[in-house]
Amino acid sequence: MKQLADYHIDDQLPGREWCPSHLQLRQYAEASGDFNPIHLDESYAGQAGLGGVVAPGMLTMAQVGVMLTNWIGNRGFLTKFEVRFENVVRPGDRIICSGSVKEKSADSLTCYLQATNNGQHRVLSGWAVISLKR
Amino acid sequence: MISRELIGRESKPVVLRIEADAVRRFAEAAGMPFNNQVPPTFMGAFLAANISGVELPYPGMIHGEQKFTYYQPVSVRASITYSSCIKDVYERTGKLGKMTFVVLETKGRNPIGELVFTSTSTLIAPDKEGESETTC
Repeated sequence: MKQLADYHIDDQLPGREWCPSHLQLRQYAEASGDFNPIHLDESYAGQAGLGGVVAPGMLTMAQVGVMLTNWIGNRGFLTKFEVRFENVVRPGDRIICSGSVKEKSADSLTCYLQATNNGQHRVLSGWAVISLKR
Repeated sequence: MISRELIGRESKPVVLRIEADAVRRFAEAAGMPFNNQVPPTFMGAFLAANISGVELPYPGMIHGEQKFTYYQPVSVRASITYSSCIKDVYERTGKLGKMTFVVLETKGRNPIGELVFTSTSTLIAPDKEGESETTC
């Protein structure tokens, strides 16, 4: 298996696919304590101008987080994780998380991150910095 | 309603013990196996800041940006003391109408006072009067 230190600039991270469901949004609300009705209540979300319920941004970020932690394993430590939520994610969407190495030093990697809706419009972009264990 | 007068307002520190059960529920709900590690966005589950006189995020608010900096690993059963502060409040008018942005910073420390993480959230309140089509 390729080690973290073997990754070079422009190398792609192992990606992740995620298909959110209404059930998952309910379970996430209960586990995270975020009961914002825009994630749970169709009529409320419609009245808020969102055209229906939307997944919490933090749940999309969590998927990118899983991608990162699966990749890092115990060979590094995530020191920065920053994202911007760019578009709505809805139950039934197919979200594709990806990343690539953009900077590399002796003891860290900086990665660009994104998530798209089925490879089309971007729903999230961001950065992560991983400090490498020696 | 949120206004610039709230900038600088802070919550009282809260002590959070990171229970394995809470981490397991969070991990499983997010769709990952629980492996005794605290997922990097777990601390985001405690963004609901207990700032007196302000409910944040309040219903209908959307999340624009999220940044975490981790200074040391967070482990299951760790004890973290965190507090939140309103760093900024501003309005922007774009093609989607007027929106209010609130920047909330949460800092977590370990029992000996060392900084463990910083979380910075940008929360957006769409103007109910306008037709808002915004992101999550």
